[in-house]
Amino acid sequence: MNESVVISGVGMVTPLGTGKDTFSRRLFKGDSGISEITSFDTSRFLSRLGAEVHGFIPKDFISVKNLRRMDRISRMTAASARMAIEDAGFGIDASNRDRVGIILGVSYGSTDVAAQFAGILFTEGPGMASPILVPNTVINAPAGHTSIELGFRGINSTVNHREASAETAIAYAAAEIKNGRADVLLAGGADILSEFFFEIMTHFKAVSPVNGGAEGARPFDSQRNGPVIGEGAGILCIESMAHARARGAAPYCEIAGWGLSSSPSSPTDWPSDPAGPILAITRALESAKITPEDIDYVSAAANGGRKLDHLEAEALSAIFAGESQKPFISSIKGAVGESFSSGGIRTAAMAISIREQTIPPTLGLENPIKPLPFILKIKKETGINYGLVNGFSSGGTFASLILKRIDE
Amino acid sequence: MEIERVVITGLGTINAIAGSVPEFYGALRNGVCGIGPVTVFDTTDFKTHTGGQIKRFDPQEMIPAGFSTKRMSRSDIMAMAAAVEALKHAGLFPVPDELLADTGVVIGGGAGGMLEGEEAYRQYLKDKGKGVRFSRFSSFCCASSADHITSRLGLMGPKTTFMTACSSGATAMGYARDLIRAGMARVVIAGGTEPLSRITYATFNALGAVDPEFCKPFDKNRRGISLGEGAGILILESLNHALNRGAQIHGEFLGYGVSCDAHHMTAPDPQASGAVRCMRTALLDAGVHPEWVDYINAHGTATPANDRMETLGIKEVFGKKAFQIPVSSTKSMMGHTLGAAGAIEGVVSVLGIFQRFIPPTIHMTEPDPECDLDYVVEGSRDAEVNIVLSNSFAFGGNNTSVVFGRFTEKGIVHE
Repeated sequence: MNESVVISGVGMVTPLGTGKDTFSRRLFKGDSGISEITSFDTSRFLSRLGAEVHGFIPKDFISVKNLRRMDRISRMTAASARMAIEDAGFGIDASNRDRVGIILGVSYGSTDVAAQFAGILFTEGPGMASPILVPNTVINAPAGHTSIELGFRGINSTVNHREASAETAIAYAAAEIKNGRADVLLAGGADILSEFFFEIMTHFKAVSPVNGGAEGARPFDSQRNGPVIGEGAGILCIESMAHARARGAAPYCEIAGWGLSSSPSSPTDWPSDPAGPILAITRALESAKITPEDIDYVSAAANGGRKLDHLEAEALSAIFAGESQKPFISSIKGAVGESFSSGGIRTAAMAISIREQTIPPTLGLENPIKPLPFILKIKKETGINYGLVNGFSSGGTFASLILKRIDE
Repeated sequence: MEIERVVITGLGTINAIAGSVPEFYGALRNGVCGIGPVTVFDTTDFKTHTGGQIKRFDPQEMIPAGFSTKRMSRSDIMAMAAAVEALKHAGLFPVPDELLADTGVVIGGGAGGMLEGEEAYRQYLKDKGKGVRFSRFSSFCCASSADHITSRLGLMGPKTTFMTACSSGATAMGYARDLIRAGMARVVIAGGTEPLSRITYATFNALGAVDPEFCKPFDKNRRGISLGEGAGILILESLNHALNRGAQIHGEFLGYGVSCDAHHMTAPDPQASGAVRCMRTALLDAGVHPEWVDYINAHGTATPANDRMETLGIKEVFGKKAFQIPVSSTKSMMGHTLGAAGAIEGVVSVLGIFQRFIPPTIHMTEPDPECDLDYVVEGSRDAEVNIVLSNSFAFGGNNTSVVFGRFTEKGIVHE
C-alpha cells in the first residue's frame, strides 16, 4: 500500500508539436503555439487566436484499421498513449493487458462530431442521423479507442471537470496504482478546438480579448484579458516504482502526492475566496508528507483569465507566505493555450522539467500581478526536487499534484 | 493499518417510476412500468416514441426552498433533488459545518445539459446565431451537476465527475469508496444523473437499439432498450464516522471492479471477457466468494447482444450456482438511464438488502434459450438478501461491477 508511484513515460500532441522531443525543445526555447485559427473561419468572432495542433500525422502512431473509426480527439489520445508507452519502454501483451488501463480527463470531448451529429438531426431529421458518427459522440470514446488500438483491458475511465479534468484523472490513476488495482495506467487528458465550441466560449466572454485590448494569453499579467483556447492531448505512463525497476525502466519522477477540493461557485464562474485552492494544495502537501518550503517549482493553472489568475496568485501567496525563498512559478498556458484537459500536457511538462532541471517560461507575462518569483520570457535552469502542478477549474474544482525527483 | 469500511447511510432517487425512495420501493415491489410516451421533446419525426420519462417534474417541488434553480439543467435538478433526499435520509441535511471540508461529491454523468444545449443549437442552426440564448449552455458540461451540489451545500471536499457512458454511476460510487478509504473524505455524495434528450434519443435510434414498445430484458423477442432518465444518489460514509454519529446504516459498500473490453466501441465482447473480468475483480475487491451472492442486479439493457453476453458472463463467473441466483433487470421498469443507471441500481441493491426483497424483471414473456437464468419474472420476492452484485456495461467497452452487503459489525454475512 505504501508503494511509490512513478511517471515512466510521456506522450503528447500539442500546439508546440508532437512528441516529447519537439514539445520540450520548443517549450524551453519559448516558442508559442498560439496563432490565428486556420481550421475554421473566425471572421464573425471578436477572437481570432487559438492554440491549434498542426502537423500531427496520426498514421505514424495508429493502425489504419482503427484510425478509420477515430475522430480527431481519439487520434490525438491514442497517439499520445502510444508515445507514452514507448517512451516508458513498456510492451503490452496477452500476459499483462488485463492489468493495464487508462484514466483520461476530457472536458468537452468531440465537440466537432457532436455538432455534426446534432446538425444532421436538426436540419435533416432523425432518420438521417448517422449511426457511423454515434460512437464518437460519447466523451469516453477516446479512452475506448485507445484501449482497442493498444490492446489493454484493465481499468478504463473518463473524468470530466473542465480545467481540472486531467489532474483529477492523474490523481485517480496514481491512487489506483498505489492500491495495487493495476500495474500500468495511462493517465492524462485530451480536448479539441472546434468552431461551435469556440463560438460558445466567445459568447460566454471566456476568451481573450474579454473587454477589448490586444488579443493574447497573458497568465498572471496585469494586462491579461482572458485565455486563448487551445487543444491537444498529453498522456503519462504511470506505474509503481517496483514495477518500473523490475523491468529496468528509468522513470522521470515520482507522483508523491495529490489533493482535491472544491468551493462554492456557479459552473461558469470562479470563487473569489482562495480557500478552495489553498485546501487542494495543502492536501497535496500533506499527502506527499512535505511542507511548502520543499516545493521548488509551481506549474500554475493560470491561463490569462482575470479571475482564475487572481485566485491562484492569492492562493500561492498564502501557501508560501512564510517562505523567504519562494518557489518559482510559471504557466505554460501562455504557450499552449487553455485546452481544458491540458493537465496531461502540463504534468508531462513537469516530469520533463524535473528530469531536465529546467523551468519553462511564461509567455505573455510582463507585469506580474503579484510580487512572486515568476519565470518570465526565458527558461530557468535550477534545482527541482519537488514540483507542484495545479489544475483549477471554473465551478470551483481544484486538483493539485506533487511530483518529486527520484533520489539517485 | 486497518482498512476503513465504507457504509451507505442515505439514499435518494427520482426516475420514471418514483419521485422518492419510499415511492421507488413500492414501485419495485409492485413491478410498475414507467415506460410510456416521451413528451419532454417532440418525438414525431423519430421512429420510436416511448421512454422512461419522469412523470412529475416540478423543480419547485424537488429543490428545497432557498436553493435557486437558476441556470440548472434538467439533469442538474434531478441530481440535486436526489442528493437532498439522500442527505435528509442520512440525517446530514444541512451538512454540518464541521463536515463541509470532508464531504465530497462524485457524480456519474451522461448527457448533462444536453436537453437545454441542443435546444439552443437548434435555434442557432435556424437563425444563424441571432437571438440564440447561449446562456442555455451554462450547465452543458456534465460537471455542472456536481458544481451545483457543492455550491448550494457549501461543500469543500473532493469533487469528480465520471463520464464512462452507461457505467458512470457505478464507477462514481467505487471512486467515492476509494476517497473515503484513502482518508480524503469522510462522507461522499455519490451517484449519477441522466436526462432524456433528443441527441441521446437520436443516437440510440440511429443504432437501431431502441425497442419501439418497451424494453423486454432477457426475452426471446427483445429488440433493444427503452431510454430513461433520472438520478440516483447514495451517501457513502466511513463506518467509524457513521457509528460515531449514530447514523442508521442501510448497507455496506463491499467492493467494485472496472475492466475494458478493448473489443468494439458500441458492441459488447460476445465472449463476455470484459464482463467476466469486472465481476471477478469486484468480488475479489469485496472479499466475496461467488457462492455467497444472493442477487444480481443485471445490466440487462434488453439489446440482443447485451443480455446474451451478460448471461454467458454470469455463468462463467458463478458456474452451476448461476442458475440458483436470482438475476433481474430493473431497467424493465424505468428504462435505461445511462449515466445514472449504475447509481439508481445501487439504490435498488441497497433497498433489496435493507428491505429484504428482490425486484422483478417485467415484460419478459417468452424465454430465450440463450438467456436461461432465474430472471425473477413472476414479480418481486421476499428474500434474505445479504450480498448483491450490480453490473454496468457501457459504450467504449467500459465495464463496472459493484458489490453491496448487509451491514453487520462483524463483517460480511453469508450462508
